[in-house]
Amino acid sequence: MDSPSLRELQQPLLEGTECETPAQKPGRHELGSPLREIAFAESLRGLQFLSPPLPSVSAGLGEPRPPDVEHPPRQQQQFSSLDDKPQFPGASAEFIDKLEFIQPNVISGIPIYRVMDRQGQIINPSEDPHLPKEKVLKLYKSMTLLNTMDRILYESQRQGRISFYMTNYGEEGTHVGSAAALDNTDLVFGQYREAGVLMYRDYPLELFMAQCYGNISDLGKGRQMPVHYGCKERHFVTISSPLATQIPQAVGAAYAAKRANANRVVICYFGEGAASEGDAHAGFNFAATLECPIIFFCRNNGYAISTPTSEQYRGDGIAARGPGYGIMSIRVDGNDVFAVYNATKEARRRAVAENQPFLIEAMTYRIGHHSTSDDSSAYRSVDEVNYWDKQDHPISRLRHYLLSQGWWDEEQEKAWRKQSRRKVMEAFEQAERKPKPNPNLLFSDVYQEMPAQLRKQQESLARHLQTYGEHYPLDHFDK
Amino acid sequence: MAVVAAAAGWLLRLRAAGAEGHWRRLPGAGLARGFLHPAATVEDAAQRRQVAHFTFQPDPEPREYGQTQKMNLFQSVTSALDNSLAKDPTAVIFGEDVAFGGVFRCTVGLRDKYGKDRVFNTPLCEQGIVGFGIGIAVTGATAIAEIQFADYIFPAFDQIVNEAAKYRYRSGDLFNCGSLTIRSPWGCVGHGALYHSQSPEAFFAHCPGIKVVIPRSPFQAKGLLLSCIEDKNPCIFFEPKILYRAAAEEVPIEPYNIPLSQAEVIQEGSDVTLVAWGTQVHVIREVASMAKEKLGVSCEVIDLRTIIPWDVDTICKSVIKTGRLLISHEAPLTGGFASEISSTVQKLCRIEDYPFYKRGKQTKKSKLLGQAQWLTPVIPALWEAEEECFLNLEAPISRVCGYDTPFPHIFEPFYIPDKWKCYDALRKMINY
Repeated sequence: MDSPSLRELQQPLLEGTECETPAQKPGRHELGSPLREIAFAESLRGLQFLSPPLPSVSAGLGEPRPPDVEHPPRQQQQFSSLDDKPQFPGASAEFIDKLEFIQPNVISGIPIYRVMDRQGQIINPSEDPHLPKEKVLKLYKSMTLLNTMDRILYESQRQGRISFYMTNYGEEGTHVGSAAALDNTDLVFGQYREAGVLMYRDYPLELFMAQCYGNISDLGKGRQMPVHYGCKERHFVTISSPLATQIPQAVGAAYAAKRANANRVVICYFGEGAASEGDAHAGFNFAATLECPIIFFCRNNGYAISTPTSEQYRGDGIAARGPGYGIMSIRVDGNDVFAVYNATKEARRRAVAENQPFLIEAMTYRIGHHSTSDDSSAYRSVDEVNYWDKQDHPISRLRHYLLSQGWWDEEQEKAWRKQSRRKVMEAFEQAERKPKPNPNLLFSDVYQEMPAQLRKQQESLARHLQTYGEHYPLDHFDK
Repeated sequence: MAVVAAAAGWLLRLRAAGAEGHWRRLPGAGLARGFLHPAATVEDAAQRRQVAHFTFQPDPEPREYGQTQKMNLFQSVTSALDNSLAKDPTAVIFGEDVAFGGVFRCTVGLRDKYGKDRVFNTPLCEQGIVGFGIGIAVTGATAIAEIQFADYIFPAFDQIVNEAAKYRYRSGDLFNCGSLTIRSPWGCVGHGALYHSQSPEAFFAHCPGIKVVIPRSPFQAKGLLLSCIEDKNPCIFFEPKILYRAAAEEVPIEPYNIPLSQAEVIQEGSDVTLVAWGTQVHVIREVASMAKEKLGVSCEVIDLRTIIPWDVDTICKSVIKTGRLLISHEAPLTGGFASEISSTVQKLCRIEDYPFYKRGKQTKKSKLLGQAQWLTPVIPALWEAEEECFLNLEAPISRVCGYDTPFPHIFEPFYIPDKWKCYDALRKMINY
């Protein structure tokens, strides 16, 4: 028998009426990597993750992570009335006899890590990741192909061919820079503006289009609005519309990966607006307390639809929240593909090795409208948008780098533009021609098995269409 | 004197709550114990407190699942969780306070037995608990989440309704969180008031994609919980907290399954069908005895067990036979799940739908055809007649439920749909 009697299970409670208080339990070493004692200063190539607690709060700058979160050290000390040190279980800190409020520092916030300047020149050569030519070209081609696809699908919505679309203009660097730093099997939870991650993982144009058109090739079976991509093979969890719901889910997935010893990281993308949701707070807190190998990647693009960051938060962005949860945090230039790459690479290495979360806030700018349902000229100036489009664009900056390396030139640029446009147009025309899935697929996958009552409803629709089918667009649907 | 008695009453409630409830959250928990010396007045206070509104009726000892042991409801839950973690190495249990054993002792001993990576506390955040559980399930591991009281499930409503329920459908079956089970204490407990007594099953009944299951007893609980955990769809398992200690019976030690979406006819009858779930099943059982004794009425008593997807056939078959239906639940009347049952039954209960059933008795043919199979020969002509359905009922369907108020504290004895209210409704139906 594999299960003992219930009596055995309940032994502790039968002996006494009280449960053991935490103070009585011997400190046990947490199931986690022994590498957690790594000092604050240790970092690869100069980039530094901000280690909690914040310098203005902590008694000792450069303290390593609190060791055993289940049994904070305070509770293991011997209580002594002669000792004037604080004994509270809730905080590890010294007393102070001066009344002083901590001033949040938003004037001079967490610095922004970058590798290239706006002209694509490496600033500090020791930070250059020295990626091979093929990889950098792949980064460039992924970004530009995405850009081309965005233009064509945005147009197709304007022409009434698809119902809705969201572009990624200006944020392509955040997608490919981070995707390139991950393993192909690392699980991705996105929000809705991360198509470049899928693009980098070679998700075919045909499938992007199939989802937007909801045609029979759509693996999602036509159930969701456009841009709600998902791909099991490429470990990209299907997008859902509610914001930030993916954050605690990503944490759970990371926990399971840790238990499975999968050597896998989970990356979770979200915008600075979604970071205001309760689910974001929940995710951060769980990831830290449960020691999950997860990268939180915040795309801070300046707007949540029309809401600028000044109306979204008053603190120092999202990166400053990380240390509040006990999370290693960094802010990077999201339009600098190499900075994004370096930060993600290092975060991945440490998240898996040390089983702790990392927070990367990638500063960028949303050049396009929020979606095809938005006209951003209603709330921001054309000049502002033009600045980012012309002066600080991830694609241009990488192109300058490529040119300076001698890996790219005007001819190749022209040829690639033509080729990428042709590829997109071909996929587009194919997608247009395909029929939509059979209406029976309206009813499946609600549960793994179809319940009897739902089958009756399915039959009821079938009968209804027999009589009234002429009023429905059956011609466009698979028979 | 009154003050001491009142204070003694508080002490009793505190002790009771401390033993079986999350008394941190109850008001008055800060009262010093020293103030309240147990005295002779304590016994008076105990007698003056309301006795339970039901009598738990254990089922006969199950013989087909091997050795049994006397277990109460929380012990049967522990046993099910123990079996699950033993069988499935990916299974983990998490929630608030589950590590030390849980505020209702459902997880006692499991952390020591299976390790702190498998049975662990989470921060105090229901939306996080469910979201986290979904994420675990997405990777294929088994996630058993606990929400400390069903009253606190609402922060997780978005994750349950918008995410868990829709994961498979919206991804075209590329992804799912079928290995997620959410367990939560449910229903009235005598003194729980607004926030420790709720029965929120109706909110979730409106959500395709999840299953909602409510057991009436320890034996049922273990089998149903194991089925929920193994089911490939996200499930919510509500545990009637008043039964945690009050219900005890022989329960098999080994794992076993009770099928979901199957109601159970626990007593056959011919004159009226009584339907309930959870604690209320014991109330209507008693009502059935009262009806037999005082009115000579034969009641068919059905435990619905799964709220969604619910077993329409069993209920309809029964109502075709008896012609009368009474549904009872603690949750408020308006929009309560009885309204769904009532609406479906009055539409579907036509003799033509159940051709081999005759009023008053089960025919040989229907017995041969068995449970649900006879329903499938759906003749198109029958369905065309759907719009002209007519009532096959001898009396309007009766719903005996909580009032449309929040769940009150001191007025609980007046609020709950007790046996007298059910009996009265039944009497009116018989005399219709």
